[in-house]
Order: sequence, then structure tokens, then C-alpha cells
Amino acid sequence: MKNFNYINAPDLPSALEALAKPDAYLVAGGTNALVDIRAGKINDRTLVNIQGLTEFDRITLQENGRIQIGALTAISKLAASDLLAEKAPALYQAACNFADPLTRNSATIGGNLANASPAADTAPPLLALDAELLLASRFGERRLPLQEFFLGVGKTALVPGEMVLAVEFMPNSFSSFLKLGLRQAMAISIVTAAAALSLDKEGIVREFHLAFGSVGPTPLRAYNGEKAVTGTEFADPEVIKQLQEAVQLDINPIDDLRAGAGYRREMAGVLAKRAILSAGREVGQ
Amino acid sequence: MSGTFEINLRINGQEAVLPTTAEKSLLRFLREHNYWDVKCGCEEGDCGSCAVLLDGRAVKSCITLAAACNGREIWTNRGLGRTDELTKKLQAAFVESGAIQCGFCTCGMIIAAKHYLEQGGKADRSQIKEAISGNLCRCTGYVKIVDAVYGVALEMGTGGI
Repeated sequence: MKNFNYINAPDLPSALEALAKPDAYLVAGGTNALVDIRAGKINDRTLVNIQGLTEFDRITLQENGRIQIGALTAISKLAASDLLAEKAPALYQAACNFADPLTRNSATIGGNLANASPAADTAPPLLALDAELLLASRFGERRLPLQEFFLGVGKTALVPGEMVLAVEFMPNSFSSFLKLGLRQAMAISIVTAAAALSLDKEGIVREFHLAFGSVGPTPLRAYNGEKAVTGTEFADPEVIKQLQEAVQLDINPIDDLRAGAGYRREMAGVLAKRAILSAGREVGQ
Repeated sequence: MSGTFEINLRINGQEAVLPTTAEKSLLRFLREHNYWDVKCGCEEGDCGSCAVLLDGRAVKSCITLAAACNGREIWTNRGLGRTDELTKKLQAAFVESGAIQCGFCTCGMIIAAKHYLEQGGKADRSQIKEAISGNLCRCTGYVKIVDAVYGVALEMGTGGI
């Protein structure tokens, strides 16, 4: 027997108050919540509708140069953003490949992150962009680097009563995202990869961030892969080979109905190569 | 709110005050109130047969919370077919192109196609395929559905050859 209550939270204080109750369950776009309700994965909860918090439904270029995206921003808005297309192509490409156009109209970036699926498509680009989350509870706000947010499948660093308000990052035009799925739409990814790059005038990689989805219990940063490339000449075939070997230390894929672990390992290497080359091509190499 | 409670919304241009429960999907809510053109296919967001316009945006009603639609406006394919010129054109084009076999996916397809064209979608076959990529059809193989949308896009003069 399904047993739910419903609260509409028209503003942030009422949302945080509702969320302070132990049975609260946030609903934004509803694309995860309704599936979990029907599957019986959640019950005896108070559904807290936060769609009225319209101040968190926007993409802003801040005075300090950082881009802030409110948690309630629909994926379709990211996929229609010229700002992101130019300044954060990794996130833009992930939004354009997210589920399908109708689902993108409902699904929100905050929901995609807080649901903490290892296959969350917006997570690898935001990890590669070194994003930071703005979190809030009744006791105040705090910031948390995104790489400290994902703790396991469906598990996050959110404490009870806390919600994601926004995600923030420094733009990087030299970033890219690649997704391998079984079909082009409505596909849960087999492997995703995102890269963000900065090169100096001599073509040496000054900074390199690489992140993967669907090759471990959480979306993850590939620190070994990053180390193999930082300080080397961009697109050196030997370095790319070392990168492909190094990322094997970063990932921990499993066999599931979409793909075997071995195939995921192989493809993580392939996507790492394509992601770095695609991110760097923008530099005019 | 717990148990059954009422929500106010506009459906197909009519004001409505109708009962729902906290966890009910917009799909079940609409079908319980006799909007049978909103089809229940997979009921987990994959097939698109339950698509409706919510405040002008195409969404899958099975993964939309009915209670959260309080104060909002919903249009289904049937309501749009009575009042909206673009929908009338799409419906006629689907019939003429033979884009309907069993018809189960059609209402959702029309919603997805209308949304695409209203957003400035062009007469471009690959873009049309992308636009209906969240809508499954098990009969037609999609060719005639794409034909129908392509024809309307051309007629609208929104681009193409």
C-alpha cells in the first residue's frame, strides 16, 4: 500500500523547513521520483515539491567569471544555452545527449547530481570542470567540491535536511564530453568521459582534468590519467598510450546487462583519448 | 497533504478542480479523469506515449507528479486537435502519410513533433528523428512518422530544401 504525503514548498525557507522532517523526499522534475514510487523503492514519505523555487532555475555568468547553475534548471535549458556551448562545451554536450528531448524538459541538474547514479550524465563534465556545489539546510549554507559529493551508488555527502541549491565552476572552452550508449536516445551510458584542458603557448598541458561515468560506483575523477598527461606535449601519441594505461588504475567497472567490465575498461581508454583530443582541438592544435 | 485532495488546473483550455493523491503521476491522474488520449505505455519514462504539454513544454506525464501541476496548464493531443492549427496540420499529415498503424504512440508523437516545430525545428530528417527519440513506435519503423513531420515543417517554411 502506497502511503505518501505532499507538501508544496513555494520558497527556500519553506523547502528547508519541510526537508528538516525525517520522511521528507524532494521532488523537482519528478523523473527519478515517479519511477522510484512506481517501483516501490520509496514509500511512507512526504513528497516536497520544490518547483516553485524559481530563483534556482537559471544559468548565470558571475562577476568573478564563474558560471552558476541553479539546481532547478532543466537539462533542456542547458542544451539551449549559448553561454555553455561556448564556455563549457563538456556540460553543453552532456545536456544535448541527456535522455531525450521530452525528459530534458523535466529533469533538473540538481536532481541528476543528487540522485547520485554512477551514470549521471552531467556529473563527469562538472567533475572535469572542478565544480563546487552550494548546499543548504535550516542551519545554513556550505560549499562542497563535487568530487567529495558522490559517496556510492545513490549515496551523497548531503546530510539529513540538506539540499543542493546550485553548482558553480570556472568556464573552460577547452572541455569535451563523450558518451557511449547502446542507442542514441534514452540510453543509460556504458561509459562516459569528460575532459578539461589548459595548454601553454608551447603546447604543453598545464592542467588536465579527466572524469568518467559508469565505470565505478560513482562518477569519478581519473587522477592517475590526469598525472600521466600534465606537463607533457599535447597529443603526443606516446603520452596518450600512457594515459590509456593510467586510467585503468582509476576505474573499477562492473559487468551488468549493458556491458561487461572488460569492454568498459577497453572503452574507457578509447574515450579518454577521444575526450582529450576533442577538448584540445578547440585550442587550434 | 495526505489522502485525497483537490488540485486546480487548466486542461485543454478548461478550468478544472479535480482530486488526486500525493504520489499520483500526471498520467494516472489524467486517465482517471477520462483523458484517454494520454496513453499508458511503459509508465517509467521510456516510451513517450503519455506525452502532454505542461505550461507549453512537452513532458512525459508518467514521470510528472500530478500534485505539482496545481495552478498549471495542460494540453493533450485531443484538446490541441480541436483548437491548435499546427496540431491539426500534424494530425492530418500523420493520416495522409500513413504514420499511424496501431495508433498507440500517435498522441505522444504529435506532442513531441509540435514541441519540435514550435521551438523552431526545421525540415531536417535527422533533427526530426532526434526530436522524437523519446517516443517509441513498434509498428511503423518511424519512416512515415518522420515523413509526416517533415512535410509539415516544409509547409511551415521553417527551413529545409
